[in-house]
Amino acid sequence: MHTIDDFVRLVRDELGMPLEEYQVSADLDQLPAWDSLYLLKLVTALEQATGRSLPVGRLLEARSLGEIYQLAART
Amino acid sequence: MQSEHSPQHDSAPPGAVSYLASVGTALPGDPVDNAALARTLGVNEEWIDVFIGTRTRHFARDLETGEVRWSLADLCARAAEQALTASGLAPHEIDFVVMGTATPDHLMPATVNHVVDQLGLDQIPTYQLQSGCAGAVQALQLGHTLVTGGGHKAGLVIGGDVCSKHLDLDRDLSSAAPSDLVNYVLFGDGAGAAVVTSTPRGERLALRTVLNRFTGLGREPGQVIDWFGLADRHEDRQAVREDYKAIEESVPTMAVEILWELLEELDWTPEDVDFLLPPQLSGRMTRRITDGLGLPDAVEVSCVADTGNNGNALPFLQLEALLGKIGQGQRALAVAVESSKWIKSGFALEKI
Repeated sequence: MHTIDDFVRLVRDELGMPLEEYQVSADLDQLPAWDSLYLLKLVTALEQATGRSLPVGRLLEARSLGEIYQLAART
Repeated sequence: MQSEHSPQHDSAPPGAVSYLASVGTALPGDPVDNAALARTLGVNEEWIDVFIGTRTRHFARDLETGEVRWSLADLCARAAEQALTASGLAPHEIDFVVMGTATPDHLMPATVNHVVDQLGLDQIPTYQLQSGCAGAVQALQLGHTLVTGGGHKAGLVIGGDVCSKHLDLDRDLSSAAPSDLVNYVLFGDGAGAAVVTSTPRGERLALRTVLNRFTGLGREPGQVIDWFGLADRHEDRQAVREDYKAIEESVPTMAVEILWELLEELDWTPEDVDFLLPPQLSGRMTRRITDGLGLPDAVEVSCVADTGNNGNALPFLQLEALLGKIGQGQRALAVAVESSKWIKSGFALEKI
């Protein structure tokens, strides 16, 4: 996973969550299906894609999928 | 059609009291911590800590090899034997055995009969309830009824589940639906049992009342466990489904309603409750529910953070912990919710 486009593709394909471009920066509360189980699915998919373990405690501070991408990319 | 009957808690005579003489429990193998579970399932350990809040659980299936080490009957027989020994009753004094489970070893024979066979008992009535988180309470209610109005003096009441039957270790969970995935991190295996008597024996815990009521008219189930036969085993149906959003929303409210209904029925005030045995969904949910029940002076007796959610076994594990704490004249209230088809349940104890 190198770009935000890869990340959006991963969210759509691995999570089965329809995601419009504008929703990447939307507050997580604005995403109709989003919840803690989707976070687990996203973390699992990201860890598989990057081969690295992610700090869930820090991801909880993220307010949008874009911020989660930024944190995952920096880890 | 709306029922016009007032709620019935019991088929036993009003005010009838039965007694718990002893409790026994069985948890299979060593505890499995979140690091080991996360490694096996390929999911994030920290997420389990934060969102489930359960530290350990036990599995009848070996996580490394997939080998089934104990059947449900094995675990229930071990718990029942422990309860029988602790009660001081002789095996021939057991007049009946009642067992609740959502995960029987076979559909036939009912697992309770294998348990009774392992215990060396014979020529007694046996009952198996197909039940979830309210199952232990339903079994207690039937035991209570049999010794207060059924002409029996003593019986064994058992609850147990082997949820690891659905713990498919070879499965890639990345494609699992959230309602499927959640089950992998919530559940565990175990069994518990109690000896119920018509007169005070052993631990002398008076069972003052039992509540067991279906409240699911017109409601979608919160939890579904499917089963498969030769004709449909290849169908792509989800084996276990949990509507965790409905459960998170409804169970805390139902727990408060159960608590107040029991208090009203018993004519007890919140201050009369020395020990609270709250619903055991997960470490995190149980904390949330207990805070909402608002009994700050009652000592909480919970086990789920260490045992995982093992369904029909949970109230017995809580009772075992209670036995080490409750003193003469003290009172305990237990609340359980079965979200499958929304069953309210609970019971009240007093050590005499």
